Amino acid sequence: MFKHWKLSLLVLAALAMPFATQAQTKPAPAPKRDLTGIWEPVRALDGIQPSGARDMPADGKPQHELPYTPYGREMASKNKTSNGPNQVPSSEENDPGHMCDPLGFPRANLFELRATQYLQTPQQLIMLYTFDKTWRTIWSDGRALPKDPDPHWYGYSVGKWTDDYTFVVQTVGTDDRTWVDNAGRPHSEEMKIEEVFHRIDHDNMELTMTLDDPKVYTKPWVALNKLPLRLKPATFEMVDMMCSPSELEAYNKRHAERGAKKK
Amino acid sequence: MIHRSFSAITLCALAAILTSNLSAQTASTPKRDLAGIWAPLRTMEGIGGNGPLSARADGKHEPPYTAAGTAAFKKNRPSNGTTEVGPGEENDPGHSCDPLGFPRADLFELRAEQIMQNKDQVVILYQYDRLWRSIWTDGRQISADADPRWYGYSTGKWTDDYTFVATTVNMDDRTWLDNAGRPHSDELKVTEIFHRTAPDLLELSVIIDDPKFYSKPWPGIDKIQMKLQPAKTDSIEMMCVPSELNAYNVKHANLGNGITGKK
Repeated sequence: MFKHWKLSLLVLAALAMPFATQAQTKPAPAPKRDLTGIWEPVRALDGIQPSGARDMPADGKPQHELPYTPYGREMASKNKTSNGPNQVPSSEENDPGHMCDPLGFPRANLFELRATQYLQTPQQLIMLYTFDKTWRTIWSDGRALPKDPDPHWYGYSVGKWTDDYTFVVQTVGTDDRTWVDNAGRPHSEEMKIEEVFHRIDHDNMELTMTLDDPKVYTKPWVALNKLPLRLKPATFEMVDMMCSPSELEAYNKRHAERGAKKK
Repeated sequence: MIHRSFSAITLCALAAILTSNLSAQTASTPKRDLAGIWAPLRTMEGIGGNGPLSARADGKHEPPYTAAGTAAFKKNRPSNGTTEVGPGEENDPGHSCDPLGFPRADLFELRAEQIMQNKDQVVILYQYDRLWRSIWTDGRQISADADPRWYGYSTGKWTDDYTFVATTVNMDDRTWLDNAGRPHSDELKVTEIFHRTAPDLLELSVIIDDPKFYSKPWPGIDKIQMKLQPAKTDSIEMMCVPSELNAYNVKHANLGNGITGKK
C-alpha cells in the first residue's frame, strides 16, 4: 500500500511538472506604450474574414443585420459580392478588390488581415500589411484630424495612448469607392473609424474596431470585437501576397475555358 | 613661378576647407542610422520616366546586353525610351498595375521614401503604390532555391558607420528593370549602396548584375542625392488603380474615335 501511495505521489509530481513549466513560461508583461513587432490573428480565419467583418459576418442571422439607413441600403444593393447570402455569380460581381483596386481602409483590417508588422517612431505608428505589401501611417504627434479631408484609399489616421497599454486610433477621409469588407458593405466619405489596440501582455494584443457612418448606418457598429492577435518572432518573414491584374486575367481565362468545356 | 606658388596655396586652402567640412559632417552625422523620410534632391532624377538616372534610354546609355539580353529586350514594348511604341501596342506590366517589383521600385517613380530600422531590419516605405520592403540585417542567408518574388529577398550590412549595402536576389523575371523596358533574368542580383554623407543627405547607388542578360554589372543609379525631409511630412497617396486606368483608356479611346460625349 505504502509503495503504491509513494508511486502515485511520484506520478502526480511528474504530471505537475509540465504545468509548473507552463506557469514559468507565462508571457512576460507588456512593455509600456509599445506595439512594435509582427502580430498575427491567433486564428487565421478571424483575420481572413471571407464572409465579411469577423463580428458582423454576412450570414443571414438577424443579429448580424447591419442598421442601414435608406441611403445605405440603396448603396449596399449596388455592391454585387461573390460572398455571403446575397452573393452573385463571379461573372456578375463588382468587387473593386477583385480587379486589384486598392482594398483601402478599413477593409485592410476586415479582409485578409494576416501577419502585420507594427513599427513606431516618436511621431508615428506604421503598419505593414501582408496583403499587397501595403503600409499605413497613424500619426501620434498630437496633430488633429483634418476637418475637411480629401478622400484617400487608406484615409487619414491619428492615434494616442489612453493608458500605457491602449492605443486608440481615429481614421477619417476614406474613399467611398472601397468596400468595408468582403461582403460588400458600403460606406460614405463621412465614415469615422475607431481602432482600439489593447496590449494584454508581451505576446498578446486585442484589436477592436468600430465604424460610425451616419449617412449609411443609423448607429455605430462593431466590426472587430477584441480580435486576438499574437506576437510572432522578430525574424518572421512575411509572405509575398500581392494582387496582380495579369495573374487575375489568366485565372479568369482558365476558369472560363473550363466552364465552356463543361457545357 | 609666383602663379605656381599661388596655385599651391590655393590648393592647400581648398583641401583644408574640404577636410574641415568632411570632419564637421562626420561628427554630426548619425552613425549606422538611415531612419527618416528621404526624397530625391531633384525630383526628376527619381522619376526615371525615360529610364533610370544613370542609364537613360537616350541612345547613349544602353546597358551591355548579352545576346540573350538583347532577345529579351526586344520582347518588351515600352512606351518610353529608344524602342518606344504607341499606347495600344505597349506591354509594360506596370501599366496594367501589376506590381512594379524590385529594382524598378528604385529605378522608376522613386519619390519620398521613409526608411525605418530595428535591430533585425531596415524597412523602406515607398511612396509609389504605398509599398514596403524589408532588408534583413540579422545575418541570415537567402536560400538559392527560394521561390522568386515580386520584390525579391534582401539582406544588408553596414560596411562602415555611414554606408549600408543591401543585396537582393530571387526577383520575379516578369518585372521590368525600368520604364524603358530593360529586362532581367532569374540570375539578377542588385546591390544598393546607401551612403549617408551628411545629417540631411544620403546618396543611393543601385548596381545591376545579371550575367545572363548583361556582360558586366552596370549602375542604374549612381549616387542619386536624397534629402532628409521633416519627420512630420505626410506621404502623398500615389497608387496604381486598375479601375481608374480602364476609365482613362476608355476616355482616350473614345476621344481617338471622335466620341466626346458632348452633344
